[in-house]
Amino acid sequence: MASTSALGILETRGMTALVGATDAMLKVAQVDLCGRHGVGSGWVTVAIQGEVASVQTALATGREMAESLGEIITSQVIARPQMAAMQTMPHREEITAVPLGGQALGILETQGLAPLIAGADAMVKGAAVELAGWAFIGGALLHTVIRGDVAAVQTALELGRQAAAQVGPVHASLVIPQPDPGLGPLMPPPPQAQGVTTGALGVVETTGYTCAVAGADAMVKAADVEVLRLTIGSGGRIAVLAQGSLDAMQAAVDAGAQAIGRLGETNAVEVVSRPSLDVMACFGGLAEAPAPILAGRAMGLIETRSTIALVKAVDQMLKSADVEYDGSYKVGYYLTAAVLRGDVGAVQVALDAGAVEGAKYGEVVAVHLIPYPFAELEGRLSHLHE
Amino acid sequence: MSAAVGMIEVEGVGGIVLAADAACKTAAVDLLGWDSIGGFTTVFFRGSVSDVQAALKSGEAAAGQISSQVVAAPLTAPAPDCLQFVTTPIGPPRQYPKQALGLIETRGYGVHVGTNDQMTKAAAVEVFRVLTVHDRVVCSLIVGDIGAVREAVAVAKGLLREEENFLGAAVIPQPLVEVLQAFGPEA
Repeated sequence: MASTSALGILETRGMTALVGATDAMLKVAQVDLCGRHGVGSGWVTVAIQGEVASVQTALATGREMAESLGEIITSQVIARPQMAAMQTMPHREEITAVPLGGQALGILETQGLAPLIAGADAMVKGAAVELAGWAFIGGALLHTVIRGDVAAVQTALELGRQAAAQVGPVHASLVIPQPDPGLGPLMPPPPQAQGVTTGALGVVETTGYTCAVAGADAMVKAADVEVLRLTIGSGGRIAVLAQGSLDAMQAAVDAGAQAIGRLGETNAVEVVSRPSLDVMACFGGLAEAPAPILAGRAMGLIETRSTIALVKAVDQMLKSADVEYDGSYKVGYYLTAAVLRGDVGAVQVALDAGAVEGAKYGEVVAVHLIPYPFAELEGRLSHLHE
Repeated sequence: MSAAVGMIEVEGVGGIVLAADAACKTAAVDLLGWDSIGGFTTVFFRGSVSDVQAALKSGEAAAGQISSQVVAAPLTAPAPDCLQFVTTPIGPPRQYPKQALGLIETRGYGVHVGTNDQMTKAAAVEVFRVLTVHDRVVCSLIVGDIGAVREAVAVAKGLLREEENFLGAAVIPQPLVEVLQAFGPEA
């Protein structure tokens, strides 16, 4: 345990740069990791502590490493920090170390969930590596971590990069042959779900909740597929994950992308044939919401870039027609959505009135009516969780 | 009695702290809490229609000290479900010593560690809370005697002058207890 006569701060854009730099810092001098914090849009911070000279040496090395892997936002050495002031700082709150084991470690970081899943599947299928989890850090930057022998991790990461690049932008990747055990707190949470065998995993990634629900609705109606969950990908992104046979999935994702195209933007589409168990366990967990009270009734969605616009719209909608409030969902990155239920005509009237009212106070991003939502989708929708 | 609700929305979070304090001092309104959607935050308060109108006006002006983008609107007869949007309700009543509140808002977290350290070294202030609302906005709230808070904020401004991600700083000499309750540390 290093003493705490100095504090070092390094903030980067991208998790690969931060992990690489932290590994180098922990190895080069007698310092400990004492905090981490993320503030969205991909900006992540790590705090180290130790003697002044050690922190200085570590940070100099860390800067070099971070620069070679990505972008540095801030770095500084704080000699003799006021520990009382540090007690209330949020970077101390979220230190839960995931045990690393003695294996090599690989990180793949992409912009968007679809390329990440494509990359993860290729990695697990291509070499004897294990998926250790995934996380997002804002700005649609997501990363996944693999572990295994050095050669396996290197091979897998190369395959993963190639597969991911076919689907979307790869932000960075890194192999750490012998990671410092102190890196534990920077690791993503381990997979929670049980892996299941399925014909294909479909991913349709879009921006905003309304587009995601419209896409999921079109998918379950177009083919015999099961929507697993709507996964938040940060930066306003939401990915619809579904499983089914390969043929059905191909039809479903086409229909989903088409439905989204009428409302907004499809960021990426990917069908993973025979996804590995690891990928299903890591990404394909089933969303389970409480039994919806208003199931089966027409569904109206409205999404804005302002809480005031949304609240004004919802207030107007509830007053202008016989509709009920079903829930709301904060996508993050300035996007927020609300869902109302009622008879088709009533929901349509309410949506029209709400869109007009909301637009007076902020940007209304999308408005969508689902006259007949399938029961398969109920309970998978994120606004019921909140 | 159906009370009206007032809402003030800003980019960042410091603006609604200032707005909440000004609004509740101007008219007989009760602070309900606030909401963040990642980048934008909104403060909610409740009172009679005319009180809410007056509070909105002064709150909007106060928020303008630190936030360039401010939207204010009343709900004159809110549907009950609209109150579900107050996702961070004001905490239970707590005792706070009489103290001033200083705000430092930037994009990025790293600089706050250094500036908060310098502020606490330069004057007898404490870090009350560091609010993170995504899209990188971080706002440090510090408390202490008014002189100490002024000095600390001046020090922070000096340190951050060159920083392109510095968004603004402000001092509330005598913040309302409700404001400390709403934006202070949980429990």
